[in-house]
Amino acid sequence: MTNNRSAGESDHEEVAGLIPWYVNSSLPDQERLKVDAHIAGCAACRADLAEEQKIFERINGAPTVEYMPAASLRRLQSRLDILQSPTDAARSPRVASGRLSKQGLKAASIAVVAISISLLLADRWVQFRAQQAAPNYRTVTSSPARARDEVIRAVFAPTLTLVEMQAILEEADLRIISGPTEAGVYSLAAKSGRPVHASLALLRRHSAVRFAEQTQPETESEPGNSR
Amino acid sequence: MMPLAKNSPKEHDSALLKAVAAGDRRALEELYLGYHRRLARFLSRFTPRYENIEEIINDTFMVVWQNANDFRNASLVSTWIIGIAYRTALKAFRSQKNYADMGSLDDHPEQTVDPTNETEVQDWLQHGLNRLPIEQRLTLELAYHMGHSLEEIAAITDCPVGTVKARMFHAREKLRQCLPTLSGAALASPARIG
Repeated sequence: MTNNRSAGESDHEEVAGLIPWYVNSSLPDQERLKVDAHIAGCAACRADLAEEQKIFERINGAPTVEYMPAASLRRLQSRLDILQSPTDAARSPRVASGRLSKQGLKAASIAVVAISISLLLADRWVQFRAQQAAPNYRTVTSSPARARDEVIRAVFAPTLTLVEMQAILEEADLRIISGPTEAGVYSLAAKSGRPVHASLALLRRHSAVRFAEQTQPETESEPGNSR
Repeated sequence: MMPLAKNSPKEHDSALLKAVAAGDRRALEELYLGYHRRLARFLSRFTPRYENIEEIINDTFMVVWQNANDFRNASLVSTWIIGIAYRTALKAFRSQKNYADMGSLDDHPEQTVDPTNETEVQDWLQHGLNRLPIEQRLTLELAYHMGHSLEEIAAITDCPVGTVKARMFHAREKLRQCLPTLSGAALASPARIG
């Protein structure tokens, strides 16, 4: 009798601990059947399961924001460029020998620091020269620099997935050449000889395209003709 | 990048990671694009700031790039990558006092919640989740948001199964204390939190 009760209690504790994974449907069949059998005769576990199911559904069904990976990937690539250039010191030895020696690691660290300092100084120098050369004001009519080949600037709904965006661009024969900026603006270039106004019209048909504007007047020989 | 055969997602990930270990950056980019959405959605449960999310994801893939050679097929590639993301996120969140910083009901502990209003209940749940210790919160979210099994969470968090169960048990207990109205009977009457 005592053994039966303690076996039942141990069974109850084990099942109670498995409920979260019963709820997310990741339990192996054997354990799932065990939970099913126990729950059929245990009101406390049934109540526990019902409550847990509600929490699971609310967490699982909570709205999430979709983020575009392109800009983040570019920043990762820049970090890798710094890591690899110019001697590939920080990466190649690892690939070739599997392990970096302490001295190699030290040398690589020094190289990375030296490169970072050089890049920083070069950047400051360029900024300093630019400040000297350009006026420190901007008129309301001056337009921001336009990327080469750019024909359209567009802003997409933040909830748009990458696949959906690619489908829209594919349909309009456009490709991304830069962006998104901090304001979420993409610069787009033409992929074919289709007139820019036609691509623009196709873009504007989509409700997920919040803004789309041609950035240069259309000519007979459309600049987007270059593939 | 060498062309990869069209295999199952697991085999495809494995082939990509081998290419990464050989120094193939395009393979790393493909892996990054394949995981970005999943990781970003998961991390956005903890912080609304994309710059924090991006930092954790990019730090994760820097580790993937530098340690791809160490992967020994003891687990799935996805478990390995999410494990790195877990440790990176844990470190980042521990360094931020208010990791969630959701600006929700935590700022207004005396506010009355109408349990019949789904948005308010959702905010209230967020409040309860924000109050969990970060290891417990991550365990619960790995199970409920990502759908991972007990064994997978043990591998991701590099903890024994018993520890995962204990963290989940404590998380549920604390959440239940915060969320009495989630039980069906109490749903009809408003409750006060704080």
